[in-house]
Amino acid sequence: MEKMKMMLVDDEERYLMTTQKLLERKGVEVLIAPGGKEALDLLKLQNIHVVVLDVKMPGMDGNETLKAIKALYPLVEVIMLTGHATVDSAIDGLKSGACDYLMKPADIDEILEKAMVAFERRQRLEEKIRIAQSKKYMRSPREILKNDNE
Amino acid sequence: MMMGKRNLKQTKKGEQVKRSILTNMIVVPFIPFILAIGVSFYYFTITIETNTASNLERTVEDHRDMIESFLMERTSDLEFITDTTRFEEMNQRESLNTLFEKLKKRSTAFIDLGLFDSCGVHVNYAGAYPLKGKHYQDAVWFKEVMKNGTYISDIFLGYRNYPHFVIAVRKGTGDNAWALRATIDTQYFDRLVSKVRIGRTGESYILNNKGISQTNRRSNDIRVMENDPEYLNFPPLKDHIQSFIKSDSDKNIYLYATAGLKNNEWLLVVRQEKEDAYKSLYSALYISLIIMVIGGAVIIVLAVYMTGRILKRIEQLGQEKQSLGNQLIRAAQLAEIGEMAAGFAHEINNPLQIIKSEQALIEILLEEIGKFDEHANAANEAKDTDEENAAMDEIEASLDQIKLQVNRCADITHAILKFGRKNETRQQRLIPSQIIPEIIYMIEKKAKVGGIDILKDISQDSTAFMGDPSQFQQVLLNLFNNALDTITERHGVSGGVLSITSFQKNEHWLVILIRDNGTGIRPENMGKIFSPFFTTKPVGKGTGLGLSVCYGIIESVGGTMEVKSEPNAGTTFVISLPAVN
Repeated sequence: MEKMKMMLVDDEERYLMTTQKLLERKGVEVLIAPGGKEALDLLKLQNIHVVVLDVKMPGMDGNETLKAIKALYPLVEVIMLTGHATVDSAIDGLKSGACDYLMKPADIDEILEKAMVAFERRQRLEEKIRIAQSKKYMRSPREILKNDNE
Repeated sequence: MMMGKRNLKQTKKGEQVKRSILTNMIVVPFIPFILAIGVSFYYFTITIETNTASNLERTVEDHRDMIESFLMERTSDLEFITDTTRFEEMNQRESLNTLFEKLKKRSTAFIDLGLFDSCGVHVNYAGAYPLKGKHYQDAVWFKEVMKNGTYISDIFLGYRNYPHFVIAVRKGTGDNAWALRATIDTQYFDRLVSKVRIGRTGESYILNNKGISQTNRRSNDIRVMENDPEYLNFPPLKDHIQSFIKSDSDKNIYLYATAGLKNNEWLLVVRQEKEDAYKSLYSALYISLIIMVIGGAVIIVLAVYMTGRILKRIEQLGQEKQSLGNQLIRAAQLAEIGEMAAGFAHEINNPLQIIKSEQALIEILLEEIGKFDEHANAANEAKDTDEENAAMDEIEASLDQIKLQVNRCADITHAILKFGRKNETRQQRLIPSQIIPEIIYMIEKKAKVGGIDILKDISQDSTAFMGDPSQFQQVLLNLFNNALDTITERHGVSGGVLSITSFQKNEHWLVILIRDNGTGIRPENMGKIFSPFFTTKPVGKGTGLGLSVCYGIIESVGGTMEVKSEPNAGTTFVISLPAVN
């Protein structure tokens, strides 16, 4: 089974590093990005499954980054990380395609749990895509007969 | 110092206001009051004056007519005799006496009767005085009667030396002429003239055209045949009746009415002291004055009293305004603090997040070290494992504390953020019979575990109300959780009852009752339970913001929230919400 590859996006560097270490110890591959731009750069290079995205960041904020990610890589699942006062922006995030949100301060297990749910969802989606794609090439006997008769 | 100055200023202002109110309250009612009294008094005076004058005039007229007719009748009496009886017949003593007796029967005013020949010799006489044979050819009355036919004299003394007046009638002409003369009883005439009685001082008398008094008077100040000095000051005699006001030498003011008698040879005077005539006027004046004084006093007393009351009310309103202002300032300050607190809380969440991660990391690292140590111990059998183990346990305990305290901080920041949240809410129609059971469902399990019965009585046909569903849920959950906590505290795991009732009170209000049989609220805390940061829960268990948030939410949709509680009996929260159709 494929292993989950996560990316954490937050402007707090120490948080990124610690969380990365923690998650890696739990057996998840984690990339970190200190801002929206860097996150997009990393996404270009690597196939990342789940992104945990802080809403409030200097420069490109969470929602902008989310929109950019969803536009370029629609399959990437995004979890919004938010302080309480920005719950509304988390809701905006959900509307723009984020799959879930987390409230600060979030437990590491909570993050992992939500990330896993998102990863499974992503996998189901990919599975569906694979089946749909394979349907293009696999034809049913009736179709074959039909085509041959023509 | 500042306060003192301000108070002084306020007192000064208050004094000014007081003065202006007082002035207005006295002057304004006084104007119509004085006008009313003045106008009525003026018209009353005029009416009384004209009435009195015309009364006096009427009296003098009636009296004049009466006296004129008396004189005329007496003259006619004599004329009747001279027409029916001859001179020779009358010249006999007895027949004149008989005639005199007859005459006296007609009028007791006659004193005597005398017959005169053309030379003025008193030829026959019936009466009490010895006048027979006296010569009168030079007497004024004789000359006049010979000239005019009839004559009524002024009062004079004559031979008898006693004031009297006579009526004389002539018969025949030239040497054949003779005259009959009768003397009129002056006392009788006086009585006749002075019969007029008006008030205390009213009197009537007759003056001749030289101002000589012809009759006695009631007041007796001028006797008969004396000169009346006032006469000179009378207005010139006219044919009609006159009335005027005049004061005499003693400064007594009189009201006069005069009428001519005897072809204006005599003047009939009726007079009355002004004070007496205007008695009712003066009593009206006194009554008016008394009314004015009493009324004025009443107005002033009322004005002072009302001013006092008004000022008191103004002061009270001022104080209320001030305290309201203070409350407003406090509310604004609280709102600002709330906003600041929300900002802080939000920022604190970031470091909390880091601390939490660090703590988790340390925990994992420690676990690994432990495992490593176990291996090492197994291999090397180190000596001081006991000490190390103890130290490790303590580190773990302190890490647990860090975790606990971070979670506590997070609870506080979340509560503050909820409290200070100013996000736009999404108002929508909420139907109590739908949303309330949904919320109850969330705590049913918890209640069951705690052995608490939930009694639901949700009216199915009540109307909707406006509110934000998540906020409403927050309110009810908060109240439910508080109730469950307090029930558990009192009853433990059995015997708790939480009843939730909702019904339509009237067409404007919906009511939700949340009643528990928990520990209740102590009376001294009743006033504070909706205040922010007030809590009775142990430190670390509650933030003291729950109920104040609930209160704010209910108030924001136009509802009210009240609490009734009895210690060790239970608490009831009453939420009233405006109904919408």
